[in-house]
Amino acid sequence: MGGLRLDNRESILHGGGRGPAVVAGKPNESLLIRALRQTDDGLKMPPGKKLSDAEIATLAQWIAMGAPWAAAQTAAADAPAQRYWAFVPPKDPAPPKVKNSDWVKSPIDAFVLAGLEAKNLKPAPPASKRELIRRATFDLTGLPPTPEEVQAFLSDQKPDAFARLVDRLLASPRYGERWGRHWLDVARYADSNGLDENLVYRNAFRYRDYVIQAFNKDKPYDQFVREQLAGDLLPDAQDLATTYERWTATGFLSLGAKMLAEDDPAKMEMDIVDEQMDTASRAFMGLTVGCARCHDHKFDPIPQADYYALGGIFKSSKTMENFKVVATWHEYVLAPPEDRERLQALLDKIKAKNKDAAVIMQAENRKLSAEAREKLGAYLLAASDVLRYEQITLAPVLSAGKSAPAGAIVREASSFERGNAPRKLEKGKANVVEGQKGPWFAEYDVTVPTAGEYELDMLEEESGAGTADVLVNGVLLKEGAAPVQNRAASPDAGGWSVTGLFPFAAGRNTLRLEHKSRFPYFEKLLLTANPLPKGTATPLSNIQISRQYGINPGYLDHWVEELRRSKGAPHSALFAWYAFQGQHSLDERSLTGWTSPAAKLFEGYHPKSAEELAARYQELSSEASRQFLAIQASRPSAEQNKLDDDMEDLTPKSAPQQVLPDAGLDALRELLYEKAGPFRAPDDSRKFFPPGAQEQLAVIEKARKELEDSKPDYPRAMGVMEGPKPADLAINLRGSHWTLGPVVQRGFLHAITVANPPAIPEGQSGRLQFAEWLTQPDHPLTSRVMANRIWRWHFGRGIVPSTDNFGRLGERPTNQPLLDWLAVKFVEQRWSVKEMHRLMMLSNTYQMSTKYDAQAAEVDPENTLLWRANRQRLEAEPIRDAVMAVSGDLDLSMGGSLLTYKDRQYASDTEKRGSVDYDRNRRAVYIPVVRSSMYEVFQAFDMPDPATSSGDRAATVVAPQALFMMNGTVVLKHTRTMAEQLLKRTDLDDAGRIRDAYERALARPPSAKEIDGALSFIAQVERALESRKTDPVERHTFAWQSFCKALLSSNEFIYLN
Amino acid sequence: MNAHWNSYLNRALSRRELLRASSTGFGALALAAMLGEQAHAATAGAQSPLSVKPPQFPARAKRVIFLFMHGGPSQVDTFDYKPLLIRDHGKPLPFKRPKVVSSETFNLLKSPWEFKQYGQSGMWVSDLFPQLAQRVDDICFIKSMWGSNSRHGGALLELHTGSDTFVRPSMGSWITYGLGTENQSMPGFITICPTQSHGGANNYSSGFLPAPYAGTPIGSVGIAARDAKIPFIANAETPRDVQRMELDYLQTMNREQLATTGPDQALEGRIESFELAFRMQSEAPGLQDISGESAATLKLYGIDNRVSEDFGRQCLMARRLSEAGVRFVQVSHTYKWDQHSDLLRDHAQNAREVDQPIAGLLQDLKSRGLLKDTLVLWGGEFGRTPTAQGSDGRDHNPEAFTMWMAGGGVKPGIQYGSTDDYGYYSVENKVHFHDLHATILYLLGMDHTKLTYRYAGRDFRLTDVHGNVVKDIVA
Repeated sequence: MGGLRLDNRESILHGGGRGPAVVAGKPNESLLIRALRQTDDGLKMPPGKKLSDAEIATLAQWIAMGAPWAAAQTAAADAPAQRYWAFVPPKDPAPPKVKNSDWVKSPIDAFVLAGLEAKNLKPAPPASKRELIRRATFDLTGLPPTPEEVQAFLSDQKPDAFARLVDRLLASPRYGERWGRHWLDVARYADSNGLDENLVYRNAFRYRDYVIQAFNKDKPYDQFVREQLAGDLLPDAQDLATTYERWTATGFLSLGAKMLAEDDPAKMEMDIVDEQMDTASRAFMGLTVGCARCHDHKFDPIPQADYYALGGIFKSSKTMENFKVVATWHEYVLAPPEDRERLQALLDKIKAKNKDAAVIMQAENRKLSAEAREKLGAYLLAASDVLRYEQITLAPVLSAGKSAPAGAIVREASSFERGNAPRKLEKGKANVVEGQKGPWFAEYDVTVPTAGEYELDMLEEESGAGTADVLVNGVLLKEGAAPVQNRAASPDAGGWSVTGLFPFAAGRNTLRLEHKSRFPYFEKLLLTANPLPKGTATPLSNIQISRQYGINPGYLDHWVEELRRSKGAPHSALFAWYAFQGQHSLDERSLTGWTSPAAKLFEGYHPKSAEELAARYQELSSEASRQFLAIQASRPSAEQNKLDDDMEDLTPKSAPQQVLPDAGLDALRELLYEKAGPFRAPDDSRKFFPPGAQEQLAVIEKARKELEDSKPDYPRAMGVMEGPKPADLAINLRGSHWTLGPVVQRGFLHAITVANPPAIPEGQSGRLQFAEWLTQPDHPLTSRVMANRIWRWHFGRGIVPSTDNFGRLGERPTNQPLLDWLAVKFVEQRWSVKEMHRLMMLSNTYQMSTKYDAQAAEVDPENTLLWRANRQRLEAEPIRDAVMAVSGDLDLSMGGSLLTYKDRQYASDTEKRGSVDYDRNRRAVYIPVVRSSMYEVFQAFDMPDPATSSGDRAATVVAPQALFMMNGTVVLKHTRTMAEQLLKRTDLDDAGRIRDAYERALARPPSAKEIDGALSFIAQVERALESRKTDPVERHTFAWQSFCKALLSSNEFIYLN
Repeated sequence: MNAHWNSYLNRALSRRELLRASSTGFGALALAAMLGEQAHAATAGAQSPLSVKPPQFPARAKRVIFLFMHGGPSQVDTFDYKPLLIRDHGKPLPFKRPKVVSSETFNLLKSPWEFKQYGQSGMWVSDLFPQLAQRVDDICFIKSMWGSNSRHGGALLELHTGSDTFVRPSMGSWITYGLGTENQSMPGFITICPTQSHGGANNYSSGFLPAPYAGTPIGSVGIAARDAKIPFIANAETPRDVQRMELDYLQTMNREQLATTGPDQALEGRIESFELAFRMQSEAPGLQDISGESAATLKLYGIDNRVSEDFGRQCLMARRLSEAGVRFVQVSHTYKWDQHSDLLRDHAQNAREVDQPIAGLLQDLKSRGLLKDTLVLWGGEFGRTPTAQGSDGRDHNPEAFTMWMAGGGVKPGIQYGSTDDYGYYSVENKVHFHDLHATILYLLGMDHTKLTYRYAGRDFRLTDVHGNVVKDIVA
């Protein structure tokens, strides 16, 4: 019942997708009662246990009474949406009159003071100049002021000293790094996908750099919004650089966390649209629209229709290249049009080469399989031999405690006579020689007295990683095992293991181990005369058996699987084969229970030997093949040439149907031609192709590689463009795309009215118009939400504390006139963010101290009214950057990517967590953000999960943060440099060094007592280490480092006063 | 790092702040809820978010150990015995496949392993688990599990968090949020050598719940259990006594500053957090150190055998952490069970790696009297198709799979629910992940509809708007 609401009378009477839920006075006609009685299929409520009869009767009675509803409740639920404060455009409120007008330096102060005076509170005294410069510098740049900067500010006695300080900080490139990072929280920025498949967004960093530059340039916020939503559609891009910049800005929509491996492409697409809508709505309007995907928003006036109206805009845009598993996102090529065309032509050529190779592979595979089918009898016999040989168990002749039998030859792995394998083999390594190419091999000359079978054993063979091929005197006798998949941490069985029994000639032989891409680890090999009793059959390897029967070892492996799997299965066409193997004859009894149609082909048939039975199978299957190929040949050639698969058109997987007239032969036909059957081409079929075909493939591949290599590596940016066919969306009932409701025209939220909303022209997605609608000056939310964000990032709490939720479920503004005044000013000052900083920071409100006042704390414990400045904990990035800055280690170069990954490479996967190098001296904003494998230091200090847009960081105090300060490599490394730097200062005495450290870290000199305390602590540590660290210089440095660690761990360092 | 145990959330200290943070202005209604029955997770006066909180009703289980088999073990090759699958091997599937599948599969493929009945209960177990088979009388098999997502990423997130669409708190986080933890020097939720793929840390993150409820990883996939450590737990450079000196000096500075600022709970909390961190440095490594365990114990967990050593260490560590009061411990056999091919070889190897350790863990918990109130949960993110992928593999199948529980108030030696003749779909008494979550919470003494957290204006639950407690398996 999509759209049904039961929380007010009108909605109940109106009903949902199925019509009215209640017909007042008529319980039996009311859907509600029918659902509760559960008489209709597909209309049963509630989902769990049925209500009791008495309960249903009560409801029926209520409906019979006309479904009365308390009037007050009706009114509350239906209150007009327009009256909700956040949907009414802000008016320019006059600053209130206050008693202590001397304190009012800015209208902001009047708004704040009015609130305080209403509660008889007084603002705190102003912060000291030292406190102020530390606060402002961290606030605007995320870094501590240098002692020189502090000194300059202290000695600047002009009245506008602070205003000029703010100007200097705003002009610093460090400003964009600090405030850009704030926005990146809102943009849920990350360098990897990280929802399910953690693919690297190699080009996301361009969006990050764009944001930093936008703040540094003071790009007007309305333009910033338009570029991020519709940069590709904005008119008047004068030059290519502007075009690239605007494309890059749309990365905002693209870099969310996505399900890239989802088997239902329609769901994947809608999930991505949903993520974009949710992020854009939260970021720009402080609204949560996600609820309306499944039903009308219960609390905010966002009906499901609005959700799909907006959704249609994003669905009509192109974010993804495809929705396959694992899906590919769109990236702009940042190159001039002619270069992009050349690139496309090249990609088309590569595609053509791939197709050429596929055509050859297909044709050759068909030939191979056709040949193999004509030898079905031989495969049956050979595969049965393999299974029989498996029953012969060979034990390694050496095991713990045993000594080698007489005549055994034992060789160390490294003792080979010839070879290109490394002499020293290492476990778990590829064991190749850097810069050289395989195949890798080692040859051992072994001399045996007599010709015959010899057992080869290996010690500590690394089976999981794949084993080597075995050749004796140039003849391949056993193929190595392929590496085991998904076995990252699996231990391999150790000790000796048997490789096989192989024929050797009398005298000198060459035993060669070979692997095409790596040389597997082992310790020793051992060769000893066949230990099996005389007369026992010698087990042969598959390669030897194939040679004996003249068949292809690739297909033989499939046949071994087939026999092992289907043994005894009554439906198998091979039932007779198993039955004969069991008792060496066939009769009525042994074939009882055979349910395959092939059974009738063997009625009354009594073969005398396995060979005879194999010949019978061969004969029948040749006939089945002949008939089948004739049918296939009669079909149109277009179908025959289908690239993908021999059989797809003839045996659809869902409804298998008989193809040949004779059901028995058809059962054999199925065995012969089934897509996954034993005559499918082996994975490594290529090595069995004739030389001509192999050569052709090599030529194509070489050409393809040359094309690949000549591909220019243009810069790329993630971003969104217009989709091929802009279209409206149908409502997904209950959020499911399997059940569609009416189609809704693309548009914006109805609850918000602006003058002259833009119309979406035919053939466009509507993204541009959405961006224009958002940034109209009378939009009630856009300016308020951003003004509130800026306030939050300065003061530690928003005027609307729930910065990302301005809806009814968010918090009310603590001072709405102030917020509205700021929002109006923001638009008036042409959406300049830097002007907003000046506005806020030059107020007395900003410049108050954090001084405690017991009386005020009693009245307003949370400081909602701002009777003092909030003491704020530094966030993750400033803490880390400050540690590096104070120690002099911080590298201030800007922009670019620190990722060593390729685009779309897995950042963390089934074998490892992300190996991103976080130990860099660049500013924290440039450290890659790998979703679901984030830098643990940042996580410990409350960097928000980048899966969701968030403008309000927590500031927890937890033990792991303390562990990081005590043991983290960042702290240890940089406090070490800091200590070394201090000790190098020959111009200072120890007290001077302490003073310098304090000024760098805390922007203040230490007291005499503090200097004494520090020096005696350093001496104490040195004494304690006397016996343990004998080098006096090292001991001295260590003790100074201990002091630095403590200083940078102190509350005064981590908290801004 | 995800670990934020025993924290001093500066906001959580203020009740008013707490209400604001977790009810975001919902006013009187939220207040009533917080003060009423839903408020148990945020009890007034509790200093730490991880303090022990009483369950909503008497709990059957106090702690959970989740043995996660990443990749999707095949139900029809392990515990779900299907005679008709053997009979009809090679035949086409006689009914429709699901609308959405991960890959193409072909005809029915019988299990290469034989099934036998074990114990008093006569439970069917394949030859893959000879040791575990000896413990079936302690186990409750849920044969009718199903989920909604056919890919590892979606299915892992659904299993761990209840949602395959968004980043949500994981079940370990919800449980720790609901009950706190019993050892204040340790995290409440630990995950040993967790996966980094298919959602990675999203599978043990606290989502929108406060950070102290996030899972703390010990090690990671690709790191041997013997080398797995809590981040930043040790410092090779600084001797313990010198570190104490550093701390004393730091605390002097901090206290002197505090004397000038007036009362400030964040500053006070930070002073205490350093003391806690210092204590934790000695406690945590001790719990991980198994060098004092007897040879018999090592053998019991298969640690004496190279094949089962690594998983055995994880299981033994899980027992030690559980015993020390950690509320939720997850052990991962990471991404090994995904046999699209080489089923015969790789399922066998997987089983060899985990069989002895798991059987040993159950036996050890039982002999220590811990099994009765420790809920052990075993399973993967989905099952596999009874139809063949290639000739020796099976595709993902979220429509039906087996999970099992032991101890912690579930009926021992029973099976619940069933699949169709071939094990493709769950048919009788189906149990969705949401139902599993509801049941686990129930066993821990919590009503899944009442364990809520207000976020973005809505009361969220582990089970979203779904979930029914499977009361039939509760002892």
